[in-house]
Amino acid sequence: MTEPIAPVFHKVGNRRHEVVLSPDGASEWRRARVPGLRRHWLKWRGGYNPKTLERERRLADKRPLWWVLGLGALVVAVPFLPNSLVQVAAIFCIFAAINVVWTLIIGAAGILSLATMAVVGLAAYGAAAANVYLGVPWPLMFVVGAGIGLVVGGLLALPSTRIDGLYYALLTIGVAEICRVSISQIRALAPQNSSINNVGSFIPQDWYLQRPGLLLGFASAVGLLLAALLLFRLVNSERLGLLLQSAREDEEFSEAIGIDYKRARLHVFLISSAALGFIGAYYAIFYRSISLNVFSLDQLLLMFAMVVIGGLGRAEGAVIGTAIVVVIDRALIDLGPLRIILIAAVMIAVTLTTHRGLADVRAQFRAWRHRIRSERRATRTRKGGEVMPEEATEIADKQAIAYRRFDKRLRDRLKSLITPALIEEHRNAPLGPHSDDLARVLNYFRRGEMPDKYAILQDGPPHAWTYSVMALSGEPGKPPRVVDDKTYATRDEAYHAVFLLRVNDLLES
Amino acid sequence: MAKHRIFGYCAPWSVKPGDAMRFMVSGEGVDMARATLVRLIHGDEDPKGPGFVEEEVPGAVPELLHVRRQFTQKGSFAEVPGLETRDVAGGSFTVAAFIYPTAPGKRRQTMLGRWDIYGSQGWALGITPEGHLDFWVGNGAEVDQVTAEVPLIARTWYFVAASFDAATGTARLLQLGKVGRYNGHLGPVVPYDYDSVVSASLRVAPKPALAEVPFLWAGASDWNDMRGRFVGTLYNGKIDRAGLWNRAMAETDLRAMGADGVFDPAGAVALWDTTAGYTDRGIGDTIVDTGPHGLHAHGVNRPVRGMTGWNWQGRDDCYRLNPGQYGGVHFHDDALTDCRWEPTLEWTVPAGLRSGVYALRLTTDGAEDHVPFFVRAARPKAPIAVLMSTFTYLAYANEHLAYEAPIAQAITAHTPILTRRDVDFVKLNEFGLSTYDHHSDGAGCCYSSYLRPILNIRPKYRSSAMGFPWALPADLSLIWWLERQGLDYEILTDHDLHAEGAAALEPYRVVINCTHPEYYSEAMMDGTEDYLTRGGRVIYAGGNGYYWVSALRPGAPEVMEVRKLDTGRRAWQAAPGEGYLASTGEKSGLWRARGRAPQKIVGIGFTSEGMDRSTYFERMPDSFHKRVAWMFDGIGDHERIGDFGLGLNGAAGIEIDRYDLALGTPPHTLLLMTADGFSDNYPLVSEEITYAFPGRGGTQDPQVRADATYFTTANHGACLAIGSIAWSMALPVNGGDNNAGRFLRNVLDAFTRSGPLPGSEWKGEEKLWR
Repeated sequence: MTEPIAPVFHKVGNRRHEVVLSPDGASEWRRARVPGLRRHWLKWRGGYNPKTLERERRLADKRPLWWVLGLGALVVAVPFLPNSLVQVAAIFCIFAAINVVWTLIIGAAGILSLATMAVVGLAAYGAAAANVYLGVPWPLMFVVGAGIGLVVGGLLALPSTRIDGLYYALLTIGVAEICRVSISQIRALAPQNSSINNVGSFIPQDWYLQRPGLLLGFASAVGLLLAALLLFRLVNSERLGLLLQSAREDEEFSEAIGIDYKRARLHVFLISSAALGFIGAYYAIFYRSISLNVFSLDQLLLMFAMVVIGGLGRAEGAVIGTAIVVVIDRALIDLGPLRIILIAAVMIAVTLTTHRGLADVRAQFRAWRHRIRSERRATRTRKGGEVMPEEATEIADKQAIAYRRFDKRLRDRLKSLITPALIEEHRNAPLGPHSDDLARVLNYFRRGEMPDKYAILQDGPPHAWTYSVMALSGEPGKPPRVVDDKTYATRDEAYHAVFLLRVNDLLES
Repeated sequence: MAKHRIFGYCAPWSVKPGDAMRFMVSGEGVDMARATLVRLIHGDEDPKGPGFVEEEVPGAVPELLHVRRQFTQKGSFAEVPGLETRDVAGGSFTVAAFIYPTAPGKRRQTMLGRWDIYGSQGWALGITPEGHLDFWVGNGAEVDQVTAEVPLIARTWYFVAASFDAATGTARLLQLGKVGRYNGHLGPVVPYDYDSVVSASLRVAPKPALAEVPFLWAGASDWNDMRGRFVGTLYNGKIDRAGLWNRAMAETDLRAMGADGVFDPAGAVALWDTTAGYTDRGIGDTIVDTGPHGLHAHGVNRPVRGMTGWNWQGRDDCYRLNPGQYGGVHFHDDALTDCRWEPTLEWTVPAGLRSGVYALRLTTDGAEDHVPFFVRAARPKAPIAVLMSTFTYLAYANEHLAYEAPIAQAITAHTPILTRRDVDFVKLNEFGLSTYDHHSDGAGCCYSSYLRPILNIRPKYRSSAMGFPWALPADLSLIWWLERQGLDYEILTDHDLHAEGAAALEPYRVVINCTHPEYYSEAMMDGTEDYLTRGGRVIYAGGNGYYWVSALRPGAPEVMEVRKLDTGRRAWQAAPGEGYLASTGEKSGLWRARGRAPQKIVGIGFTSEGMDRSTYFERMPDSFHKRVAWMFDGIGDHERIGDFGLGLNGAAGIEIDRYDLALGTPPHTLLLMTADGFSDNYPLVSEEITYAFPGRGGTQDPQVRADATYFTTANHGACLAIGSIAWSMALPVNGGDNNAGRFLRNVLDAFTRSGPLPGSEWKGEEKLWR
């Protein structure tokens, strides 16, 4: 036997980079709750630091923190940016709001609808027309927009229960195109190139495209995004969302336990469509006009790029994707058509390298690190070998480490005792008397841990008992499993068969 | 196709003709079972012996029984009848207790409350699946809760309280660590901050649970179509004093109660003092409410009482010395002392039925069960009584050693031999534990009861850990041999000896033990001693007898208690301060450790055990003394006695006892036979080991041997002791015609004759020339 190479021990240990609170157990912790809900504002996890046993309170869900930091930075930075970038920031907020609502439709409701911009556009046209031609004041445009969204959503929802997935997606692209063509045919709008201009707005006429107007527009767009996020949260994480979550996991099971997921899906779709209509009205008010561009396939594909880059189904994905695409498309306007190629390149890069968009990158990174760690450990530790310092950090009972080292050394000694003569000795007298060597080997086998320990099954009538080998589970209520299909005529043969299996396990380790 | 199953149990175990009995049967996949009364004569199916032998008693029981599935409520908990009419859930309230969770985490546990799991209604204090203290309320539709910030540390005392203010809807949860120098798993050096106070305004107002939902300690009521009401989310751990108030207490008041353990009577609905009602002679199942309404809690499946409490100072080691520090009541989610099945057959033992070991045989297509019981003589007539070790049967009832104890194979030196029935038993996991098993939280199981199907106290059963019969099925070898010899005998049980003492034995000229009379109560020790003192004759033919101090609570013969303690070959070790029996107040552990080594009564006591091979006895020089030489009539001087048997092919082995003057063997005892040559799988017992050093096994230690001894007592009394479990299991070999049987027959023939014993005249001084 060759002497194994001594393993290299690497130092382990890390400073704590995460910010944690160290509350005092004596002082009362008043858990504030979101008004009207059982939810707490933040999800905390209390526990003890395993290294020091110091008390720790940490955020179990850090997403609220990242939202505040990200959106807060934007709000703080925008007043210092040039006008063009303020405009870009406002556009980002609007598209992010649209995408967040869209994510509800695709993610929470699971309906692959591409008619988002069709709903936004129809609502924008309807609200603008109401304002310009019917004299509806601009605040009521939101009501009109939301109403149109609800109606259009209801119409779009009809086929969604009958056709699935891709076909529905194609159908909804068609709907957008139909809207564009239909509006372009309206004669009354032909003089102004099918657009409606001079829509009433909360931005005073003389501030339009001026800095105060831009800032006001941005502020309102942030408000819109926050409202969209709140809606997302309310729908996705409360009752409707939870119902749909179970439906996504197993439709038949949730139906069997009485969850009407189709109805829940329809509700989410209608709520989202109304929200998109609301955003459409805002869109017209923000730009003080509305044009056919809103229905363009280019625009739809850009939005599609946003959600694909960010990742479907999650609000943060929608916002990150929107940020990237809007920055490339609007802020790097000097690059010209190259921008579209750049967006396509980012999209391809993201789809090739991530499983579920950028929002999922952290989990993917962890899985990757876990895989690398496992691979490295596999090369560093021979099977059944000693515990490495990095493994020791994960074993709470340090005696288990001592046991493993002892066990490895004992096994190495016992392996040298296994000879054909020893096996023959056992075959001749499985229950003894035994030589010291055999007694040592047997005692090692008998002291093994319970899971997968061998046992013998006796079967058949008293005068024709046969024996076979089983392995115990070691868990209450979990029966032993059959090891192989061999049967033995005598108990001694079965004892010896178990012995041979154990010798085999020992030599293989 | 549904699998057929049939199981039964009966009560009482020991009856006389004319006594009433109940049989409780559960059938799965069947609604009828054929019933037959059988007398059990031999149990082991080993081809070397007579095989399984039973004798049907026609017409003694109805031929067909209607059976149905009966459910078993596992887990110990306590019910508080009457609290449902005084539930506090309508208004403000406070609940507080001292708790010692032993297995927080993994699944939800309920400690105190009136909570309906099925209807999500009521309120309770418990532990979340993540191991945090939790107070939750429900209104039938929605549930809301307050959860403590830090997880509960296992085996640590806490004072916990939850208060709900109905006016503001605010709930406050308080958790204070009570770590002393003695009372818990960890000491004060561990820098945990155990405390947590959390408050929140609840969105759900608690609604009192339905009237059928009881207030429970250590569980919550659930409901299921098949079973009806049952108890779920069982708690593992101790609860010390607890209280319930109909007002929301201020945090400062709660802290004050947690500091001194004195509960405020103002507004109290119940003030449970777990230490009330203790007597010098034991503790019952009632947890006393000292509050205004007397809402006592009644333990089900024997919560373990008299355990160390939150304030245990370590100086007193028994609840009798300082009840105030012994308020702990230990609950286990897998405790079972009574299946509580409905009787399937109420039966009167027919007059004239001869004394014997009987069973109600239940058969269905594909399933069979024997429900054994013991019939004594209505009026003793036979000269011989066979004392069946019913205490030992309880101790080993439904043991899981082969499946759950990692060291079992090292002890037995065997790979377990399972049967299909064993595999089923492991899967079923429904009929509770033996005193050789651990509860799911790691504590040893101290109670065992016959109010449940006991699948290993059945004819034909062979211990899976050892591959040969154990206890009742092994003891039947003696019965078969007595039948074969045509000897007139009657049956007694440990329970009879416990209840009646020497009076149970006195009608008989000779009393013979079975293979393993290991568990003995004080009354049994006294009775045996008194019987011998007054001239009775005892044949102690077994191994490891009179070993564990065990007891029955007066009036409750079904449940035996033992605490495995400090020394001896023991499956577990009672926690410090928890070595006294709740049933009687006695110190448990080994009789030897209480000054009553078995040597003092029968001459020999436990010295070693092993399950690889048995060996044979050889005559010792004393056997040639005329006082005893008659026992060996027909046996050669050099004969190997018992070189055969159903217990590992020898009459000496499995568990073996030895003569030792130092342990109280009567000074005039003769050493008749000895067996040695055991392997190192027979180690010297741990109670002999003061300093451990190599070589305490059978190949090197002279104390590892099986002895057979004889001494006489006053009034023509005598005791023959053969210290080996395998002895009786050798008797049936060769149709009962063998030298072990010859020896026993010689002794029985002499012992059943009244008056002076043979050889008694040879008491002079040997004036020897040789």
